[in-house]
Amino acid sequence: MTSTKTGPSNVLSGLSRARKGIGLGGRSEHQPRPPRRLSSRIITLALLVFPSVFLVVLIYGYPAIYAVIESLHNGNLVQTGPYVALHNFWIDFHNPVFWHSVRFTVVYCVVGVFGSWLVGLGLALLLRKRMHARSFFKTLLLLPWVVPVVVTATAWNWLVATPSSPVPRIAQDLGFGQLLFLASPGLAEFIVCVYKIWLSFPFMMLMASAALAGVEEHLYEAARVDGAGAWQLFRRITLPLIARSTYISWILMFIFCIGDFQSIYLLTGGGPVSSTNTLVVLSYETVFGDFQTGPGVAIGIIMLLISVLVSVILFRRIKKVQIS
Amino acid sequence: MKRPGSRDTSGVSRRKFLAMASAAGALPIILDACSSSSSSGGSSTAGGSGPTGTIEFWDGEVGTGQLNTEAKTLTDAWKDGKLTGSYELLTGNLYEVIEAALAANKGPAVAGGYAYQAFQFADQGDIHYADNVVAKMMTNGQYDDYLPGLFTPLKTSKGYVGIPYGVDTRALWYNKSLLAKAGAAVPTDWPSFLAAAKALKKIGVYGYVTAAASSNSAYGTHTLAAFMINNGGGMFDEAGNVDCMYDRNVEAVEYLLELVKGGYVDPGSVSYIDTNVYSELKAGRAGMALANPTIPQECGTDPVTGDLVVMSPLAGPHGDKGTIQYLKNYQMYTRTPSIAGSEEFLLWWNQQFVGAKGFYAQGITAAVPIRKSAIALPQVQANPQLVKIINEWVPVAKAESARSPVIFAGLATVDNGTAMIQCIQSILGGKVTAKAALTTLQSAIANYGISSQG
Repeated sequence: MTSTKTGPSNVLSGLSRARKGIGLGGRSEHQPRPPRRLSSRIITLALLVFPSVFLVVLIYGYPAIYAVIESLHNGNLVQTGPYVALHNFWIDFHNPVFWHSVRFTVVYCVVGVFGSWLVGLGLALLLRKRMHARSFFKTLLLLPWVVPVVVTATAWNWLVATPSSPVPRIAQDLGFGQLLFLASPGLAEFIVCVYKIWLSFPFMMLMASAALAGVEEHLYEAARVDGAGAWQLFRRITLPLIARSTYISWILMFIFCIGDFQSIYLLTGGGPVSSTNTLVVLSYETVFGDFQTGPGVAIGIIMLLISVLVSVILFRRIKKVQIS
Repeated sequence: MKRPGSRDTSGVSRRKFLAMASAAGALPIILDACSSSSSSGGSSTAGGSGPTGTIEFWDGEVGTGQLNTEAKTLTDAWKDGKLTGSYELLTGNLYEVIEAALAANKGPAVAGGYAYQAFQFADQGDIHYADNVVAKMMTNGQYDDYLPGLFTPLKTSKGYVGIPYGVDTRALWYNKSLLAKAGAAVPTDWPSFLAAAKALKKIGVYGYVTAAASSNSAYGTHTLAAFMINNGGGMFDEAGNVDCMYDRNVEAVEYLLELVKGGYVDPGSVSYIDTNVYSELKAGRAGMALANPTIPQECGTDPVTGDLVVMSPLAGPHGDKGTIQYLKNYQMYTRTPSIAGSEEFLLWWNQQFVGAKGFYAQGITAAVPIRKSAIALPQVQANPQLVKIINEWVPVAKAESARSPVIFAGLATVDNGTAMIQCIQSILGGKVTAKAALTTLQSAIANYGISSQG
């Protein structure tokens, strides 16, 4: 006789496994999968799915494979050229600008992800409270994300580019001297990072707002009864409960940052002296500015590997998050 | 009532649906293939009476808007047998536009634009050499109409990559009112240029302004190349090998650093785009600049009566004179419905610049004329700045390949490329030594293996 355990411990275990996505659809964790018959229905479904799968492979797979091939050849956009093995990577690794771009890419991603997350989360917490004209402020704060980057980047460039631009003139009037925001490497890096935070915090705010909406108020009430302060509430309840959403937003923002070409290209063009070059800008400049297709595509491959690595690490963190 | 799992024979069967879906999916590909083959024309003869198709002419010569309007009208009206012409104004990064088009098996039959693009695409095997056109120009007298020596730079071991139609020369300009106000003489050599910059600084005006932003700028890198050439230097040696560390180059960069460190160069130049140069000159915040021949028009001043005046080429410390210059040319591509048609079109198009109703006579092209008949036009002679550039700057100007006498494809990478931009940005930052800046430039160019040998 086959019996099914129905005790409370089994229910909890079942829920736990369900949360992990195990045993969905009624199949037990250890129950052997029944042998499948290749029915005409499955063939039909497979054939129906095939065009989509084919298109996805064509659109994503073909360029990726072609890029790998290009990175191993010394060619141009028209001809693949002779096979040079890893020489293009060797060229990149021996280019000081490449390493500078790696450094700034890391800075840009870290500041972009965590800077925008801190601002976004802070504003989400603030807007969670009942306040006058909350919807208006929410809409207003979304504007940097909604307005096209080409518009905002050009506007920021206009604000800071030359000594006679509004911000340097205001700074000078306030006694800061002549600040050349895009002519000084340090200031240019600062401006680009600030711009990225300004551009991205609305997305983080939205993600945090959605996650915070799912946190039950009674949890806070219970904690307050137990004597928890505001910091403890945030540290022990809010952060753990929005952790999964936070990790997902970090992954997405990291992907946005590492692939962000237009913000930097429109604001600084990667200068001055390559100070604000990220890998994606360098890759573009190498291919279309210097016509070095192989080394430029090799940078793209390196970026791809870094993106996959970081995403895998963050996804593993998500899996480890326990939802209680 | 329909039973679950039963076949609906009244509608479309599964097999029919899949067949229709496949056909629908393949339709755009088939249509695209059909349209590609028809647009490229091909050399097929309709009725056996000659080639048919369209000579696609892609022009990067941006003059006044009137030039492009007239060019389109003329090209669209052009016919040679059953061949017709079509005009496309190229904007943006022309290398990128044409390269991408060629990669997609599209692209022009005839094109013009950047000075080095013909060499670059010739290296890729996309250029039809213009030897037949040059031969015809030798017989019909057009060749002799040119100033001497302008066809030679376009000749490679395989033939002429294109034919010249003008030059784009970088000359030094000054604001005569500001110089007079500062009590400075018009510079004639490096010491007097420095003295003029010092005098301008005393009246609160930057002596020199340029544009070295990482995108949308060119005057910064032109300044670097121009001062090297002015001093008898250049980024390549006589054999076409990269040689940025040449003594004369070091000397030129040291001079630029002296200008920067003295506070005579607008510090915003590092992040300026080319239009900022115009606005700074127009506003009277800077007194001198290296710029193209149309800068008075860009600044909205009259080339005859306005404040912006071109100076004579400066004498370097060793007596050398020189600047950077781009030899503008039109080239033919192998992707054409008719090689003979492309050649006929090119010969015809080249003649549109000259004559009483030509582009020079109308004053609608930005290119500096290089044909005697065009230079003699009263409309050209009426512009004293242009005449001075033709008479004094063009003869001493060289390409970025200087000191090498030949032009080669790798210059497309060097010209306003990242290596040159970074070099001039570091110089304008004033925190490098001349040797350090040039060492970085040398290694960046060498890293890509650029030389006249390819």
